Amino acid sequence: MTAVATVRRRRDRGSRFLVPAILILGVTSIYPTAYSIWMSFFDWDWGQRFNFVGIGNYLDLFANERFRTALWNTIVFTVGAVSVELVIGLGLAVVVSSLGRGRGLIRTLMLVPLMVGGMIVSVIWKIMLDPSLGIVGTSLQALGLPPLGFLGDPGMAMASIIMIDSWWQTAFVFIVLSAGLQALPIEPFEAAEVDGATAWQRFRFLTLPLLKPTILVVLMFRTVDCLKVFAIIFGTTGGGPLTTTESVQVLAYRMAFKQLNMSVSMTTMVVFSAFTLLVLLVYQRLLPTEERAA
Amino acid sequence: MKRRRQGPGVWVAYAISIVATLGSLFPLYWLFVISTKTPREAFKSPPALIYVPDFSKYLQIWQTAGFGQAYLNSVLVVLVGVAMTLLVATPAAYALVRFRVRGGKWLRLWLLLAYTTPEFLFVIPMYVLFQSLGLYDTVIGLAIVYQVFAIPFAIWMIQAFLGEVPRELGDAARVDGCSELQNLLRVYLPLAAPGLAATAILVGVNMWNEITIALSLTFDNAKTVQVAVAGFRGYAAIRWQEMAAAAVAAVIPMMVFAGIAQRYIVKGLTFGAVK
Repeated sequence: MTAVATVRRRRDRGSRFLVPAILILGVTSIYPTAYSIWMSFFDWDWGQRFNFVGIGNYLDLFANERFRTALWNTIVFTVGAVSVELVIGLGLAVVVSSLGRGRGLIRTLMLVPLMVGGMIVSVIWKIMLDPSLGIVGTSLQALGLPPLGFLGDPGMAMASIIMIDSWWQTAFVFIVLSAGLQALPIEPFEAAEVDGATAWQRFRFLTLPLLKPTILVVLMFRTVDCLKVFAIIFGTTGGGPLTTTESVQVLAYRMAFKQLNMSVSMTTMVVFSAFTLLVLLVYQRLLPTEERAA
Repeated sequence: MKRRRQGPGVWVAYAISIVATLGSLFPLYWLFVISTKTPREAFKSPPALIYVPDFSKYLQIWQTAGFGQAYLNSVLVVLVGVAMTLLVATPAAYALVRFRVRGGKWLRLWLLLAYTTPEFLFVIPMYVLFQSLGLYDTVIGLAIVYQVFAIPFAIWMIQAFLGEVPRELGDAARVDGCSELQNLLRVYLPLAAPGLAATAILVGVNMWNEITIALSLTFDNAKTVQVAVAGFRGYAAIRWQEMAAAAVAAVIPMMVFAGIAQRYIVKGLTFGAVK
């Protein structure tokens, strides 16, 4: 048998092992995506009404004030949360990696919030941020600050949600960047130290550029995850007060399951998924080839 | 990179690390405190540091709002879901590690997309489909939909573990007349077993914690523990103790699993990219 034939046979054997995964992902990802796109051209409210409306849903959606607000809220949340998480996570990764004894223990303990589900996170912070009885508010008042509304205050609700996500997910940034730091070569840092570079210069001109691919991967996963935000908003404010914290996914949930505007909700998700896909592809372009998923 | 800082800087570094660690843990500690305080004590200001813990709510919650049934449902969803994931993702990861799969590049992109798709894009169509198939509000239905994020994640992780098995071992087994399936089962799996267990735990944690999909595709019969905890929120400030006790009860098994899979969590979080 020739070498080429062997390679081809081995390839075919390989595809066989992929069939179950492709089938299940086909049913759970391709089918519903196609269905959503198809249904976005109809007007359907879970009842008898089922009319072809062409791109009518899309035109309505772009004119919809509430959708635009939700999209804006989602972007504000994502930019806010990802920035806070990156700055704190990177800072902590650098600080903790400089430690001797206890470094492993600190890393392990800091991971704990990641093991907590979004609904539990909501319960924790509903209790902690309660305007009159929560420990955060009462402590701040003891320090002389005026009573704060937190999740119930239209001006503070989004900032509170960003804070909650930062408590929850900074550890992801921290742990991935810690692993990245550990993998960096030590020689350039020794050389810089010999040359008298300050700690800040070493960070700015060595750590940051060397860590850039890892930082981009972390940013990609955090950004896409934040755009999907649902649990911690549904669980705390439900999108309120008014619509100040309503994200696109919270709006889509309300449209489909509270108002039964099925086709409108699916149109919303088609548009929004296209948007997240675009963001994902931009990140993929920025990444060096070997770090790309495809 | 391994470097040690000397002088006063090291104390600053320790101080920052300890404050950050306490900040990560305090909210969970406080949740536990609230779950064991009677309303009178919980609303005392400043809060009493020493009090007689009241664990009565930990017994009561199981009879409240179907919490016990929901807990059991979550256990079932995790068992069925994780079994399904391992059964499907292991051969797929094996194929991706051992062969040059045609269209492998596209398959990898598909995995990333499936993993990152906003949930409601597929949840609403699955809701419609499940209503007509009778899979709505069933454990099995929920476990199937969970595969969207579980399979990509598991393939990434298992690929990393299978990739550590020396290629020569597999090749030698092939020469000895093993089929590829026997090769996977007898050569690769025993060596990658700890990695598979870690994958199972991390996928299980993700499924246990999931709420977006569970909220939409279950109602009563297959309601999961997270949905049940969501139900306790309605009690608001008046009945914090029940709400907190339910939340603690839902967190504890995850802490145990995280403790067991500790060594592998970093690998899981970096999708197998870090050894």
